[in-house]
Amino acid sequence: MTIAEAIPAATLLQGLKDVNVSDVVAVPDTHQRSLINLLNQQEHIRFIQAATEDEAVAVAAGLIIGGRKPVVQIQHAGLYACVNHLRGIASDGHFPMVFLIGLLGRDPHREPSDHAGSMVMLAEPLLDTMQVPRYLMDAPSDVGMIAEAFSMAEECQGPAALLIGVTTS
Amino acid sequence: MSTAKTRISVASAVEALARRRNEQVVVSTMTAMSPWLKRAQTDRDLICVGFMGGASTLGLGVQLARPDVPVWILDGDGSLAMQLGSLLTIANASPRRFLHVVFHNGVYDTSGAQPVLAEGSMSFAEMAKGAGYADTVRFDDIESFEVALDDLLETDGPVLVELITEPTGDSFKDVKPGTSLDQAEDGRPIASPLADVWPKVQDSLATG
Repeated sequence: MTIAEAIPAATLLQGLKDVNVSDVVAVPDTHQRSLINLLNQQEHIRFIQAATEDEAVAVAAGLIIGGRKPVVQIQHAGLYACVNHLRGIASDGHFPMVFLIGLLGRDPHREPSDHAGSMVMLAEPLLDTMQVPRYLMDAPSDVGMIAEAFSMAEECQGPAALLIGVTTS
Repeated sequence: MSTAKTRISVASAVEALARRRNEQVVVSTMTAMSPWLKRAQTDRDLICVGFMGGASTLGLGVQLARPDVPVWILDGDGSLAMQLGSLLTIANASPRRFLHVVFHNGVYDTSGAQPVLAEGSMSFAEMAKGAGYADTVRFDDIESFEVALDDLLETDGPVLVELITEPTGDSFKDVKPGTSLDQAEDGRPIASPLADVWPKVQDSLATG
């Protein structure tokens, strides 16, 4: 049985606009490529590309200091790559920073925790270890989680993660 | 070690920059951080401890949010070496009022002076030039740096200045084994230095 379905890029973009996101700081992600393409075709939200996920976290922190409202868009592999900046900047620095994390390779018939491969399976427990609140977006109707994540990040004065369960359409 | 015959003292480089400090947001880390803060700290200073290599892209974010406010980065050589991709990220974003100063002493000063990799054959100025910085320059004497600095501050960025500096000899050698970095001696939790200062910078930018 399918438990997850693709979220259209336009739905995600509207969700970001609805909470007044100003910038998407991204490292290219195959899983969210339709959203990246859409972001590059509009001017309401600025798209800033970074070479590494570490840098994306740092740029987002600087944007927050300067009064902007960014989101960091990466892949699960990028989450694993940027653990120290996530800890040292977003968490210890008390930055209300929201992440969009693509679960590339996730089987839509299984929960992420039921995967044998570490790439999908370890993302949620890693976020739990890092004490980062997380939201699994598995359907277009989950787009309201974007606002929830921003509220949580503000409340906790720290990072919050939105996991994109299926490749965006 | 670098093959440079002369070197700049960190104190003299900090002094040259401090005399020209006014509205800039300054992001400092590693060797330059402590002398800079003692000499020139304001409510527009950001401090980077515990995430090596992040100073320049933290400053990039500030500059992208506030292109009207100049941003200076006081970076370390070992620190920049950990995030060389940041040169591409910065060049691609083309921040115009962005001065990236790299204190190149050739060693990991705080951990016991282990050499920075490829020391003697590599150049951060050349790497930044290849990445696409608008201007890059390298100095190994304070007089030349002082003469050029005013013009560099007026140059459209991003600009990278590589300073060949003397190791300071500062390190954590006086930290006793077993010392907790979790609590101060009085038992209070040690807050992140960045967490302490960035709200002040945010307030300064919002009101200034």
